[in-house]
Amino acid sequence: MMQSGPGAAAAAPAPPLVVEHVAKSYELDGGGIVPVIGDLSLILREGEIVSIVGPSGCGKTTLLNTLCGLLTPDAGRIRWHGREVAGQPQNVGYMLQKDLLLPWRTALGNTMLGLEIRGVPAAQAEDRCRAMLDQLGLHGFADHYPTTLSGGMRQRVALARTLVNEPDVLLLDEPFAALDFQSKLLIENDTVGLVRQGRRSLLLITHDIEEAVSLADRVIVLSQRPTQIKAVYDIALGSDRRDVISVRQMPGFSDYVRSIWADLDVVLQ
Amino acid sequence: MTAEIRAAPAATSASKRSADRAGPGRRWLRFRSTLAVLATQLVVLAAFLAFWEHATGQNKAAAFMFGSPSAIFKFLSQMATDGSLWRDSYVTGLETLLGFFVGNCIGTVIGLSLWYSRFVSRVVEPFVIALGSIPIIALAPIIIIWFGTGLISKVAMSTLSVVIVALVTSYKGATGVDPDQINLFRTLGASKFQIFRKLVVPASLTDIFAGLKLTVGFALIGAIVGEFMSSSEGLGHAIFKAGSLYIIPKVFAALVATIALALILTFAVGKIEQLLMPWRQQLQR
Repeated sequence: MMQSGPGAAAAAPAPPLVVEHVAKSYELDGGGIVPVIGDLSLILREGEIVSIVGPSGCGKTTLLNTLCGLLTPDAGRIRWHGREVAGQPQNVGYMLQKDLLLPWRTALGNTMLGLEIRGVPAAQAEDRCRAMLDQLGLHGFADHYPTTLSGGMRQRVALARTLVNEPDVLLLDEPFAALDFQSKLLIENDTVGLVRQGRRSLLLITHDIEEAVSLADRVIVLSQRPTQIKAVYDIALGSDRRDVISVRQMPGFSDYVRSIWADLDVVLQ
Repeated sequence: MTAEIRAAPAATSASKRSADRAGPGRRWLRFRSTLAVLATQLVVLAAFLAFWEHATGQNKAAAFMFGSPSAIFKFLSQMATDGSLWRDSYVTGLETLLGFFVGNCIGTVIGLSLWYSRFVSRVVEPFVIALGSIPIIALAPIIIIWFGTGLISKVAMSTLSVVIVALVTSYKGATGVDPDQINLFRTLGASKFQIFRKLVVPASLTDIFAGLKLTVGFALIGAIVGEFMSSSEGLGHAIFKAGSLYIIPKVFAALVATIALALILTFAVGKIEQLLMPWRQQLQR
């Protein structure tokens, strides 16, 4: 903790997120204890996209909720920009597979939620939100209620709601898993474009190995519970990683997918 | 593959256009099915009334015991001309409305605010169940003693019939909010009060309105039971008086007015619901 004081921070800014030896277990009603996260460390650097893949039930969501401060780890440290935070970290966007849109608010109203909570003046918030919705291809849908939007559009509204707060770090938990293939590719592409453009960092938790490889600079493969890191892949697929669709045709792509699949397969047996 | 993906938006806008074109047709179909339901309801009602009229027309004793639609109509028009129909309906309607309003306000405010504290709600729970299990009729004599024989005692009866139901439905609505949704609000930095006001209250509206529709009937029962016990006016009073004088058709006439009152109030609640929750209407479009 001493070296993360102001002097050290000025020399080299601390990475947005550092996780050191985090462990988390659940108590059962019967009295038993289920270890979910065994021992996990990772670093998310500025402007970096990291995907986390793992077998079903390996505690990915627990990990995400722990990072967000919704759960408290049993052991280890989580540092945001070099600091340990009590409660919810600032400037972190959070998005799940469920879009969690409020049905009584229009697309615009949903997007404005975060700014409204922080007390940004309504007119200013509305301008920013309309611009964000336009940027995500939702021009003309700002005043629609979620029930009248398709799944892909709803998830775009959820993305707009996250991005309009200008978070340094985005934590996404299988955000595109419920979408059809085409919508998924398009929204992935937009997400990555906006994240890279804003030099934001993204931690993406996913089941989908192809999604993990096509989006990320680094893929972390988790083991079965109690979760540990099983393998880490640095994805070297060219320098411009904004186009997640054409990257799927690059020669190395399927090799990564195959090796990660093999890693998971061993775990499943 | 890329070409397919780029073509996708064009395909969706085309299908949207065809849905628009189908719009008026679908609206007509829905209107027609509503009409069919309404026509069937009218036929069933007419058949029932015709059978009633015919069966009691042959037999003086049956006519005395069961009344007849024509006799009921005769009493209704007589009560309308002498003004007692409007006066009694007004009195009972006012009692019901006040009880409905007060009961739902108190019940909903308590039910929603129980969301705030898990501790308080656990403390309160057995008391709520105990109070909810009391038959309101059993309280009527005490209520009359406490609040007299006028309007207030009927409003109190009506309120009591409503309050527990309103409390339970709104509490159920408040605690039924998706925990992920609450987590989302927390990651956006919302305070507990912001979560309450911007999430819990609007999310509970569906359950609250379900409770409102249910409690229209309860409020009316409360008011009428109150009038049975002791009163000088109101539909309950009219039913009680006609019943003790064995004027069966007049009992039914007052019942018809009671039913009409319940229908009007339920309809009004439905309209308010549509006004307050416009996003639910868009769903049907």
